[in-house]
Amino acid sequence: MSAPSKQLPIVDSTTPPDGTVKVADPNPSLILGAHSLCPGCGEPVALRLLMESLQDLGIVDRSIGVVGHGCYGSFVRIMDIDVLQCLHGRAPSCATGIKRVRPDSVVFTLQGDGDMVNEGLQEVLHSAARAENITCILLNNGVFGDTGGQATATTVVGQRTKTSLDGRDPAKHGYPIPVSDLVASLDGSGYVARGHVGDPGGVTRTKKMIKEALQSQLDGNGLSLVEILTMCPTGWFVPAGEGPNYQQQSMEQTYPMGVLKRPGGAD
Amino acid sequence: MSEELELLEGTAAIAKSAIAAGMTFFAGYPMSPFTGLLESLSAMMPEAGGVCINAESEIEGVNMTLGAGAAGARAGTGSCGQGIALMQEAIAEAALNETPFVVFNLARGASDYFQCTKGGGWNDYRTITLAPKSVHEAVEHTQLAFHLADKYRAPAIVYGDPLMARTTVGINIKKLDFGDLPQKDWALDGSMSGTGKSRQVWTWAMGKVTDPGPEMDAHWRYIAEKFNTIDGIEQRHEELWCDDADTIVVAWGTGALFAEKAVSELRKAGHKVGIFRPITLWPFPGPALERVAEGKRVLVFEANAGQCLEDVYQWVPRRRVTFIGRVSVDHTGMNFGDIMDAPVVRQLILEHLDNQAATAGANQ
Amino acid sequence: MADSTRNALPLAVTVSGIGGQGIQLLSKTLALAATKAGRHAMLAADYGGEMRGGPSSTSFVIDDKPVNALPILEETDAIVLSHHKFSERAVERLLPGGVCMVNSSIVDQSVIPTGARVIEVPAADLAKKLGSPQTSGLILAAAFNSLYGLVDHETLVDAMRDLIPPYRQQAIPKNIEAMAVGRDAVAGHDLAGAPA
Repeated sequence: MSAPSKQLPIVDSTTPPDGTVKVADPNPSLILGAHSLCPGCGEPVALRLLMESLQDLGIVDRSIGVVGHGCYGSFVRIMDIDVLQCLHGRAPSCATGIKRVRPDSVVFTLQGDGDMVNEGLQEVLHSAARAENITCILLNNGVFGDTGGQATATTVVGQRTKTSLDGRDPAKHGYPIPVSDLVASLDGSGYVARGHVGDPGGVTRTKKMIKEALQSQLDGNGLSLVEILTMCPTGWFVPAGEGPNYQQQSMEQTYPMGVLKRPGGAD
Repeated sequence: MSEELELLEGTAAIAKSAIAAGMTFFAGYPMSPFTGLLESLSAMMPEAGGVCINAESEIEGVNMTLGAGAAGARAGTGSCGQGIALMQEAIAEAALNETPFVVFNLARGASDYFQCTKGGGWNDYRTITLAPKSVHEAVEHTQLAFHLADKYRAPAIVYGDPLMARTTVGINIKKLDFGDLPQKDWALDGSMSGTGKSRQVWTWAMGKVTDPGPEMDAHWRYIAEKFNTIDGIEQRHEELWCDDADTIVVAWGTGALFAEKAVSELRKAGHKVGIFRPITLWPFPGPALERVAEGKRVLVFEANAGQCLEDVYQWVPRRRVTFIGRVSVDHTGMNFGDIMDAPVVRQLILEHLDNQAATAGANQ
Repeated sequence: MADSTRNALPLAVTVSGIGGQGIQLLSKTLALAATKAGRHAMLAADYGGEMRGGPSSTSFVIDDKPVNALPILEETDAIVLSHHKFSERAVERLLPGGVCMVNSSIVDQSVIPTGARVIEVPAADLAKKLGSPQTSGLILAAAFNSLYGLVDHETLVDAMRDLIPPYRQQAIPKNIEAMAVGRDAVAGHDLAGAPA
């Protein structure tokens, strides 16, 4: 046997290491309590990213939220933000009214795919076309989670829902709407990105997108939109732990990740 | 002349009055004869430091207005009955989540009485509805509507028609004072975000987990009680020549203007007729009508199939009530037909007075 | 019934024609000019959905005290007919002996009530001659004003100027020309005792 090569340094583990970075606060201060959504749901993750982004940008004390109708609607009870719980689909219009009379505030909407793409598609498109300085957060899981897993306008082809039991068939149910692409195509949008919260990389990139979107609002670049693919294992009829995998195999194949549009040009 | 008059079309006068009342946000969708209000505000609001949005739909317009109202601004929207039908969901929502704003129904006629007073939205709510009879009164009601909306944190409707929207008068518009109002400490401005006491505007009133709200059952009982209170306090009406009258004509809005003219002439001819005009269609001034109409005949005149009539029935026994109105629309569908004309109204009233006299004679 | 060529206000007028003839502008110009001259005016407009071709009429009352009139007049002292089409109601309500100013280039005069005091103004022809056919309404406005001596001609021109929207400013010079033509078109007529 040869002599041992150079001795590897042994890290002293008796005291905390220097230069540690806390990656997340276990109890973020803008979240007042536990959420009530299902195990494996992606929406609370997105909420947390949004709340942290407001704090990171130092804009909490002028932030106003407008929340639509879906499972995430219950977030109005746990987010420490001045909030309007609005009618289904109408959040971008309500946000328009708020922002126009309080131009110094930071106004965001929180909407699901049923809210934004079914009930309120024209609201988000018209608000984008008007270049309203608001930030819309779309929590897209391709189903109506709140009502138990029916098809929405973003359900991907082949996806099983309670109203497409054999999977979404274009011949019967038509095709999904890529709303972010529509919004990005309008001159009045400033920043559009699509992320997901299915794995740590997705979470990190999505938070960056949310901050960029809010910054775009602060810079007055028109409507910003971050579409976040959020797991809904209950509505997808898969085990809680399978959510990210299913999402990767289904929704992520139809909706590619990345920044679709940013001030000065897309990536 | 004591005051400088400005010649303004009805819609422009209402626009100026709304701005005088401090309205800083308006969103509407064109529909005649409401359109004039949207055009006037588009021209006037920027100069007044406010915002007027030519909304892409009535639904978006009313929801923008709800947002602006929730943020504490005096906000307005409007249309004709057809467009306001699309706004019903948001009007009900605002009544339930206590967001004040004013809806201008500059309608195509008098057939939106039910829509204004009974509503078409969800849940237990009412909408304060003011029915001016002239441009001058519409100017006053515009400011009163903003006051009442803020006072009660509820949407309020000003209900006019083509004869009001398109009539031009010399007028001097000033800010009117209806008294003090509470601070809008509930309004969303972001300042409470992150303090642990952030605000919430929500129909279900469940509050935050750290500071629970009353929740639906208690909140909706409170809303119902609030509308009961409004009903008790805010009824407005006008009586003319009722004391010696044996017959009372009930008429509202511009219809009352024509009825007044007809009745004044009939009185000169010796007929004992009076006028009762509901000014608030909701709350309906029922107790006053009951008192005024005690033992008298009541003729209800309105250019529709009989809508206010149903409210009259609540307060006057049916056997003493006769409906003398009818549906009356011109060939464009935008204006009143032939009924809105003093000689026609006079004849409608007279026919009934004659019948009564004949009946009375036969009974003797 | 008294002669309607009154020497006192109020003056109640109905203008009738078809959409596109400038009926609304004609009437607003007269009402605004009267207001500028310190009088009171009430003007009610009646028109439908079409911008062109449908019925268009107005009723206005000018007085030296606040006007308390219905937006639909029962009887009028004068009518202005820009077209015979849709003119029945206006004609019916003209008081006996009232003034009937007609756009004589167009109006079929069989609609004019007997006994009316007819003032012919070939407004459409005069406007065409100016190369600005859309000014016939303002020609009638200026003629009517001149006939009754309601306000200074310049006040009437100022009123027109105020009423032209920003997207129509290029029309003003021709409008001014047309109004001068209208004023002169009734030079031979005199309404003794008309309100000054």
